[in-house]
Amino acid sequence: MSLGHNAWPPGNIRPPDDLQESPRPVNGLVKTLSGSRTPQIRGSVGAEAPNPSSISEADIAPEEDPRIAQFRELYRRSEAKINALFSGRYSGDNPAAGEATESSEAQPERVDNAPPPSTAPRKSARKLDDDDYDDYDDDDDEDEEMDNAVESPLETKSAAASQEPSGAAPLARRPSTSISAIADGLKEPKKETMEDLRKQLEEDKKATEEAARRSFHTLFYTLENDRDAMLDQQRLEESERQVEAEISGQANMGANNVSGASNGYSSLSNTNLGASSLTLKNLIARIDKKRDRVQASDAELRSLLSEVRKNRSKWANEDKVGQEELYEAAEKVLSELKAMTEHSTAFLTRVNKRDAPDYHTIIKHPMDLGSMTKKLKGLQYRSKQDFADDLTLIWANCLKYNTNTEHPLRKHALYMRKETEKLVPLIPDIVIRDRAEVEAEERRLQLADNDGAEESDDEPIMSSRGRKAPGKKSSKKGTAPSRNTPSPSRAPSTQPTAPARADSDATGEASQNGFFTPPPASNTSSDPAGLGAIATTSQDDSMDIDGPSMSTTALSAMSVSGGVEPEDPEYKVWKQVTKRDRARVAAERHRLLRGDKLNSEEPALLRSKAGMRRWLRHQKQATIETDKSRDGDSQAMELEAAGESLAEGIEVEEDQMLPYYYDVMSGVPDLPDRLLWKEDAQGNVVDASEEFLRMLPTGQFIQPDSKLTRKMNSNMRQMQETRKICSKIGIVKQMQLQSQMYQNQFQKYQPEPFLEQDIEPHVMNDNGPVIAPWVCRAALQRSVAKVFYHTGFEEYQPSALEAVTDIAADFFHKLGSTFKSYMETPKVPTTESHEATPSAAEWKPAYTRSEIVLHTLSTVGIHIDELESYIKDDVDRLGSKLATAHDRLRSLLTELLRPALEGGEDGSNAFADGSEQFVGGDFAEDIDEDFFGFKELGLDREFGLSTLSVPLHLLQNRMFNAANPQNTSVSPTVTLFAPPPPYGRISTDNFSHQIGLLHEFFKGKLDANGDEPLVEDLELPPKQRPMGIKPRLPASGKIPMSSHLGLTSSPHKRAAQAMASKSGGAEPSKKKAKKNIGVAIEMPNFQPDGEGDQATGDPATNSNMKTEETGLVDGTGESMTNGA
Amino acid sequence: MSSDRNPKYRQEIQQMMFVSGETAEPAQETTTLIEEITRQQVIEILTRSTALATRRGVRSISTDDLIFLIRHDRAKVSRLRTFLSWKDVRKNVKDSDDKGGGDAADFAAADDAAGVVAGPQDVAPKPKNKRAKVGLAWDVNSFYSVQVPEREDEEDEEEEEQNYATLQRLAAADERTRHMTREEYVFWSECRQASFTYRKSKRFREWAGFGIVTESKPNDDIVDILGFLTFEIVQTLTEEALKVKEREDNEKHRRGGAEAGENLKKRKRETGLFDPPEEGRTPIEPRHVREAYRKLQATPQKAVAMLLHNGRVPHRIPLALI
Repeated sequence: MSLGHNAWPPGNIRPPDDLQESPRPVNGLVKTLSGSRTPQIRGSVGAEAPNPSSISEADIAPEEDPRIAQFRELYRRSEAKINALFSGRYSGDNPAAGEATESSEAQPERVDNAPPPSTAPRKSARKLDDDDYDDYDDDDDEDEEMDNAVESPLETKSAAASQEPSGAAPLARRPSTSISAIADGLKEPKKETMEDLRKQLEEDKKATEEAARRSFHTLFYTLENDRDAMLDQQRLEESERQVEAEISGQANMGANNVSGASNGYSSLSNTNLGASSLTLKNLIARIDKKRDRVQASDAELRSLLSEVRKNRSKWANEDKVGQEELYEAAEKVLSELKAMTEHSTAFLTRVNKRDAPDYHTIIKHPMDLGSMTKKLKGLQYRSKQDFADDLTLIWANCLKYNTNTEHPLRKHALYMRKETEKLVPLIPDIVIRDRAEVEAEERRLQLADNDGAEESDDEPIMSSRGRKAPGKKSSKKGTAPSRNTPSPSRAPSTQPTAPARADSDATGEASQNGFFTPPPASNTSSDPAGLGAIATTSQDDSMDIDGPSMSTTALSAMSVSGGVEPEDPEYKVWKQVTKRDRARVAAERHRLLRGDKLNSEEPALLRSKAGMRRWLRHQKQATIETDKSRDGDSQAMELEAAGESLAEGIEVEEDQMLPYYYDVMSGVPDLPDRLLWKEDAQGNVVDASEEFLRMLPTGQFIQPDSKLTRKMNSNMRQMQETRKICSKIGIVKQMQLQSQMYQNQFQKYQPEPFLEQDIEPHVMNDNGPVIAPWVCRAALQRSVAKVFYHTGFEEYQPSALEAVTDIAADFFHKLGSTFKSYMETPKVPTTESHEATPSAAEWKPAYTRSEIVLHTLSTVGIHIDELESYIKDDVDRLGSKLATAHDRLRSLLTELLRPALEGGEDGSNAFADGSEQFVGGDFAEDIDEDFFGFKELGLDREFGLSTLSVPLHLLQNRMFNAANPQNTSVSPTVTLFAPPPPYGRISTDNFSHQIGLLHEFFKGKLDANGDEPLVEDLELPPKQRPMGIKPRLPASGKIPMSSHLGLTSSPHKRAAQAMASKSGGAEPSKKKAKKNIGVAIEMPNFQPDGEGDQATGDPATNSNMKTEETGLVDGTGESMTNGA
Repeated sequence: MSSDRNPKYRQEIQQMMFVSGETAEPAQETTTLIEEITRQQVIEILTRSTALATRRGVRSISTDDLIFLIRHDRAKVSRLRTFLSWKDVRKNVKDSDDKGGGDAADFAAADDAAGVVAGPQDVAPKPKNKRAKVGLAWDVNSFYSVQVPEREDEEDEEEEEQNYATLQRLAAADERTRHMTREEYVFWSECRQASFTYRKSKRFREWAGFGIVTESKPNDDIVDILGFLTFEIVQTLTEEALKVKEREDNEKHRRGGAEAGENLKKRKRETGLFDPPEEGRTPIEPRHVREAYRKLQATPQKAVAMLLHNGRVPHRIPLALI
């Protein structure tokens, strides 16, 4: 890459160099040998050669590193492309150069270069270029004299051939260019190549970025440097602000000097714009007219206007040809350099006298990036050369001042210099000239136009935008700013590359001297040693195209990535590429978390669709990347185009050079494929549910059938049976004690069989257990309740059940954890006999399954014996005990019912005491015979008779007495008539509706009440009533209801109580009635029984019913009287 | 708790230890230590049962409270039930005795022996005075609202099983007494009567700090049960301490045998064959008792199962009842 980059030290003119061919090979050879480095490595030995500009360099030699390979490859490719470009451009240049007779030193070669393009293969041209680059590389370093020696053989050899190809290349490669060149003069292609060149450089850069981007997926970079990046960035911004401030401070004084109209307020129309913006013409005219009222300076106005105008930068100036291009590029380069905060920090500001007292004695021309910015904004640069010189001056100053080779600043300076060399070629080589001058020149050229199309091609005819596009860069490496100023500006328009040299060394050198194009950024850092090596190779086979070019590019890539600091090159590239974004992210983070707390007023981190899209793309890229790495070669980034459906195009995507893990908000979780929304050909949604949905197998939430289960169930059934007997016994005993019976006093104990309900059919969408805490808990609770019941509790409070369930859950959780930790014990080798061979592939779990179970049990303090004894004692033996108890109770009941049988085992005495049993049919059950034919009549089913014997209370004489009229039982649930609506309160409004007699009375009452509505006595709480009915307990002193409920406790108990309390609340005024309610309240629940009893033809119950009714009438009558 | 206190039950403890297998004369420190341990246990029992009674809403401790405290030791529960039932029998007999039943004299004589360890073989109950079973609150009988009637004919095989340990003890005692002379046996039976409470009710109340630990005045039943339990405690401690000592002796013997040569060992073994084992024995020392106590107080794994996996450790693990 031979874009102008090297400023030649004064006196180092090319022609003299040519004379010193001979030392060069020697030197190069010596260097390669002494460097003890392989030629490819291209160690830098710059320090060995005396630098005319008294800069002793100590380039750090890049080390050979396999990791560089990737970057090298990248560079190689981009270099190759750029080389191709150059060869094209030269072809354009050469003819033009030939005509530029009047311009300057470069003329001689240009004439030489004139030969018409031939059709040599393009590659050879490139190769020649490469050779030239090598030369330039040499030149970069201080060995200018030497490189001639290297090149000369080359040139001589390839001269003839190379000449033509270089010209022909563009034709072959870029028809459009060549056509335009022919038709229109060569200026166009030249410009184009210029732009292409820049584009190539951009691409190069992009490739680097791309590489770094790719490394996002393969490497994880820690965030530790983010803070530094942020601080650097802040410093940079700070310095920029400073510069800005200074500039604006000076604006009124000096800024206008440059712009031609220097005194006071210049008319804007003169200064800023030419024909460029007709749209703003009126505005500008207006501003000019009222210029004295406008408070802004010219510079400010200019920048304002330039911002408004489309396509014009603030640098544009109609009168200054080329200014816009130059300044734009220069500004970019400058900011780029400043942005390398890692190294540029020291150069951002002027050297302080306090820091270095003797600085100004050593350095006569101090320079820094800040000053350069100032100068740039002050439009003080006339040409690229000026700018580049200043840049070089900075590094040179630093190197000069800090003579100690170990000084850290030197490293920075060297690094920055390298970067500069890379970047400066991006600036078009332009000398700013006044339009008038340019036009004059144009006229002059017009005269010489007859020379041919090629000549005109080279003409710096500016468009209306005032662009001057001299294709060549001026050399910029010059250590002294004094050298090579605008004067050669025209000359560089041709690149004296291979063709130039091909003709003659002398001319070639001369041309190089004039506008020597620096190698591209990647090459600039090359070292003499490496060059020597390449030179030798290229000497050998100069026609071998790819070899040298490859090697140079590879080397240059290396030298770039080798870096100033002994860092991982990949990492360094990454750091550079991502620096700004990282700094931004870190700054955001810093803002958000300043002061070690979350700052609530800072803007929140939000997930954006663009971010998610980006994240997804990264993800995809990463997967493709891994795939590709398997394939071997990486083929481009077509995946970039792989669009995501996610909100594509909804939001503008800003591109960030950051790995995805910086963007934590935008992470998208992996979604299983089967959840994708898929459509078949007809556009119907493909339902993938069959593949993964499944029915939950039944029986997950009930106790599995087993011996133990069956035993427990039978025990529980046994208990229920026994309880039935118990309730009967209780009834009998109660009847023996009680003098009177109530019809529904004895409720039947009829427990429902236990039935474990499984959950409803359920669809699961994956394997594994059901994660449904509530269901599981309910199942556990049921199991606990079952154990409770089995242990003997008939009913339990819900809170107790809850508590025990919680404890059980906790225990099982611990059991499971212990189990798991045993299961997850690291595996042990199978063969424990010889410990020396742990590498044996055989591994087995540390514990077998049974061992795990045993260990777990012992950890929680349970032994197998205990479990066994539980089964034996608490289940088995309990069963037998229960059976025994059942038998005993049953016999007890039998005894109770048949006291006569007690006398004789054989039942011979059964008829001794009046044969009551025989009449009652009590023994029917025992003999299992339907004595009264109940079954035949279907009564047993109709009335739910448990036995076929006549119900006991029907047979007892007492039962007849039980139906005493005084035992009234009121059923409040049977309301024959709805109570009448309550009367409205008497108030001042409506008392006139009452009969006239009472008007006075009510009036008096209302007056006494303060005209408030009168309150009925009944509405008052009982105690506040003037003469309410005092509630009285019955003589027995207790509410009868509870006495018999205790005997036969049942699930209905609570409900009954609840109802009792409710109905009691409904009629607070009648305790008496409530007493009766207590007895009758169970009626609705046991209506069938009651009916059955009645239907058995007992007149007593009927009379009982009557009394109930009378009682009811009583109650209502009472309430009515109360209401009245 | 009270090092200032004088030991009050030295003789009783010695006798109990003798019955439990300690043949040599234990030192004063040993008995004092055992006494202190026992007292601590008794106080713990009283405290807990009082708490239980309070929870039931009753002020005075009942038999069930005491049984509930030792419910996990089935053998002990069974022994206690046996003890209680025999006590019942004795009361009935006494009642009938007052009525003039002459044949009850035997029972009165046998009372003392049965009071401590009620062995069925010691006393043959008369069928007339059938012994009442002591029901447990958590037994099947309590499941139902109606009292399950007793039936004599069926034998409680569960109790048989639970009596196994008791029977073992009795068998051991039988073995020991088999070759005793008459005087020795008299001494032995005297020792068996040793009790913390029998005819020393007042002393026991003071010793256990009844008025302090529990407000209510435990009735005689409770005191009797406590007497039974104290005997059990001393016995358990002694047996455990004997085991500890035996192990220690074995260990010492093994090491000492290597040093002292074979002679001593051989001679000892030979003599041991014919001599009663109690001769030549050293008594239990306090350290043995302490070790036995430590072992008995060891927290069972079960008690800490719920503390696994980030469970909280209670600051105090309650005293284990021996």
